[in-house]
Amino acid sequence: MKLSLSSVEWNAGSWKFHADASFTPGVHLVSGRVGSGKTTLALLSARLLQPHAGAVEYEDIRSYTLSFQYPEYHITGSTLHEEAESYGVDPSAACARAGLAGRGHEDPFRLSRGELKLFQLSCLFMRRWDLLILDEPFSALDCRGKLAVCRSIGENRSGIVLVSTHEQHILPKTDYLWEMRTGDLIFRGPLPEAITAWESAPGPIRMLRGQGVIPANLTRDDILEAECRMHE
Amino acid sequence: MQDARIRLISLISLSIATFLSVPGAVLSLVWLLLSPGTLKETMRSAAFWVILLFVTIIATATQMSGNEGISYFIRTGVIILLAFSVYREWHPGEYLDLSVWLFGKKYGFDIGLAVEMSIQGLHETSREFSRIRSALSLKGLQPGIRLIPAVGFLLIHTRLMRARDQADLLATRGYRAGGSCCPVFRTTNRDIIMGILAILVVFLSFMPVRDIFILQM
Repeated sequence: MKLSLSSVEWNAGSWKFHADASFTPGVHLVSGRVGSGKTTLALLSARLLQPHAGAVEYEDIRSYTLSFQYPEYHITGSTLHEEAESYGVDPSAACARAGLAGRGHEDPFRLSRGELKLFQLSCLFMRRWDLLILDEPFSALDCRGKLAVCRSIGENRSGIVLVSTHEQHILPKTDYLWEMRTGDLIFRGPLPEAITAWESAPGPIRMLRGQGVIPANLTRDDILEAECRMHE
Repeated sequence: MQDARIRLISLISLSIATFLSVPGAVLSLVWLLLSPGTLKETMRSAAFWVILLFVTIIATATQMSGNEGISYFIRTGVIILLAFSVYREWHPGEYLDLSVWLFGKKYGFDIGLAVEMSIQGLHETSREFSRIRSALSLKGLQPGIRLIPAVGFLLIHTRLMRARDQADLLATRGYRAGGSCCPVFRTTNRDIIMGILAILVVFLSFMPVRDIFILQM
């Protein structure tokens, strides 16, 4: 199972995107600043955007999907029940998973953006995907929601999970680290080795790195464990 | 064309010329052909072709009922082409500058702000529509009549949400009416030439065809 971006280029005016990469099963975290090209990478990887040069190739990928940053774009049903059905999942289970048990009859637009985001992601996580692309999955979520999404991402690691985010505090257990830097996709390597080369690392990781302590991974527990090591 | 003032004058002149006569419409089309880049972009717009299709249907019906369907098709087609081309050349903040330059800092600012927000809204709606189509295809749903209410409701909902946010933002910044804006325009030699040509087209459109092309036998 492999997603390949072979010398992929895409331009918007003077801004240029370039990627030469292969994604194998596991969790791939793509970090980068706002406007660095993370959403473009997500759209190209989902083949919703045609590259101006190069090719996006799927090898043994039979099921794939992309979650947009704004969950509203995904709404097609007039109730949460209908909405869950449009993903082919059990509506009651989807509502329960998103903390909305018994609210299946409600209009999706009545939910807050955070609730809607969690509901939409819950529907996606209830299915198995060979390639799951999540564009800013943590936006609009509170701490609990972010941790729940991190757990669900971990449950899907038998497939390729591409997570593009600028989240700084709560991150999933990651297998491979990538960075988007002004349109260029850069592979930093597997975890934890990649942490030393991570240019846009979040503040807590930069602080640990400065003290010569490298966390085993990027989860909140890993960071806490590394902080404890720092004080030993 | 860089200067929004000359673009506006050109648009008004060419629209009058196109409305007045078929030769005026043909000359306006020639004027548009002088900016092939913009015209090419316009021709790529699906919305342009959809509107043109409706114009063609009306023109055909008009012609078949014994009226001037062909004249209607040429003139309306060119006016639509003009509108799309001018819309494509818009840069953020341009109509605010133009409106303040025309009507002053009070009413001009308000009109300019409303125009800017509307055009920005159109651009955003276009982007949102494209994202919604992608989301539908990811769910394996084909766009069809059944999905029109859902997509329409979604677009209206996102527009209303955006409008509310914008209103809150303006209120937070203390906006009541009017505002301070110093319009800046960049005029190139090409802009001046194109503006003069557009005005010339209006005068030529008043003349009978035989006076321009010496077609009298």
